Amino acid sequence: MTITRYALIAAGASLGLLVLMTSRALAHKEKHTPEQLKAFEEVFMEQVKIGDLLFHGDEATQKNLGVQLSRTGMACAMCHPFASDIHPHEFPKFQEQIGKFATLRDMINWCIEKASEGVTIDSDSDAMKALEAYMYWSNRGSKLDPGRH
Amino acid sequence: MDEMERERREMDKELRSAGDRPDRSLRITRRTFLHKSVLAGAAGAATYGWFPLINTLDFALGAQPAFKFAWISDNHLYPKDVNTRFVDKATRAAKEVQAMNPPADFLIHGGDLAQLGDPVELDLGNEILKEVKIRKVFIPGEHDWYLDLGKKWTRLFGQPNWTFDHKGVRFVGLDTVSRAPDYWTVKKMTHKERMGHMATLDGSVAGPWAGVGRDQLEWLNRTLSNWPKDRPVVVFSHNPLYEYYPPWNFWVRDWREVQEVLRPYTNVTNIHGHVHQVLYNEIGKMRSIGMLATSWPWPYAPEGVPALTKCMVRVDPGDPFDGVGWSRLTLTAAEKAENEYVMWRKDVLGETPWDSGCADNVNQILHPRIADREWPYPGASK
Repeated sequence: MTITRYALIAAGASLGLLVLMTSRALAHKEKHTPEQLKAFEEVFMEQVKIGDLLFHGDEATQKNLGVQLSRTGMACAMCHPFASDIHPHEFPKFQEQIGKFATLRDMINWCIEKASEGVTIDSDSDAMKALEAYMYWSNRGSKLDPGRH
Repeated sequence: MDEMERERREMDKELRSAGDRPDRSLRITRRTFLHKSVLAGAAGAATYGWFPLINTLDFALGAQPAFKFAWISDNHLYPKDVNTRFVDKATRAAKEVQAMNPPADFLIHGGDLAQLGDPVELDLGNEILKEVKIRKVFIPGEHDWYLDLGKKWTRLFGQPNWTFDHKGVRFVGLDTVSRAPDYWTVKKMTHKERMGHMATLDGSVAGPWAGVGRDQLEWLNRTLSNWPKDRPVVVFSHNPLYEYYPPWNFWVRDWREVQEVLRPYTNVTNIHGHVHQVLYNEIGKMRSIGMLATSWPWPYAPEGVPALTKCMVRVDPGDPFDGVGWSRLTLTAAEKAENEYVMWRKDVLGETPWDSGCADNVNQILHPRIADREWPYPGASK
């Protein structure tokens, strides 16, 4: 009886794994085509552009994503032109004003709330990912140096 | 050596003969030495450069009596119901200027009183500055100008460029903002759109808008022509009169021509806004001092910070009153002038790499934006 039950569980698990594997795309099984690489890049750059617009206070983009990053007319870019003085490559680190070990996303939300007087966004939201994409893209080539104050 | 550095060196070579320095005024005086000693100790004094907190300059006033003047700029006011922080800070600066004792002879407002050129914003700024009862002179910033091309601003504050003599010093106010190449007509932009692009410091649409212009250069040349070459000249401008970082218009595009006009004069001080940060530079015989904003501090640009600049501190982004302020300039009877940054915190200049606004930014490679390059140009300030 017990043996049968385990067999069933094992069979079920295998079936589940099979379903999971067939329902998701495979990676690196075939040689990549230039079109594929271009498509991957386009997905990324689309997010960079959305992030750029959010970062510069674009109202339409904020509305599309249901976020309000400032209530006082401020935009991230007003203190961080070209996404400067953010150092996304230095996170995670102890963040003085938050008083704890923090990620870039923690700090983005801190800035939205305190400096821009906006409404904080979900840490895994599309808006957060786009902002993060823009910041990293703008700072690409900078030395990875996590923990630096 | 990059292109910018190469050009700078070439220009400096062109303008400055061997052994030339901006007259004798920048010797370290007893007062600044004492100040430095207090801060850094005697051993540290030598490494401090000659741009301490109290920046003592010699305006060679001769027998003229002492006087002070004050600088306020870059308030970037929104309508009061949108943003009260900027109103509070502009008001604080105005009150402090009015409270100066002995009083300043005049206040120079260095531009960007408004954020989006809105008449409501300019009226609000005018109202706040009524707190200051002494003489006031104004030059415009781009944020004041590009909604209605300066109509409201000139109605409130008059001509954007001017000159006057005061106690042995020739003061000149330059308009470095109104001569932007027209990027809006062909694109049929609304006035608000035009203004939005001007208000986006790191946008590329407005292009190299900062300039003095041929007509104003000729005016400047005429204005100075009857002034003795060795007597002090103070030139106020919104933008720096040299090339610091063109992508953010931290320059005027015709700065070489400006230097040509100023070249015969041996005691020229340019005091400018726009950069929202502590800056000091020398080009030929002209020295430039960057002023603080009351609104918010800009970070130092990724390249081009003049080597003579002693950088300001890293700012606390959680304190709206940090990293901003105004300037008090005192011209003493002992032929000295002092520029004091009135920043609302204890230390103005960064002493260690981890506290300096420049040294903190060494590990960043930055790239220009992308979203502002696609017509119809989304992403401008609204």
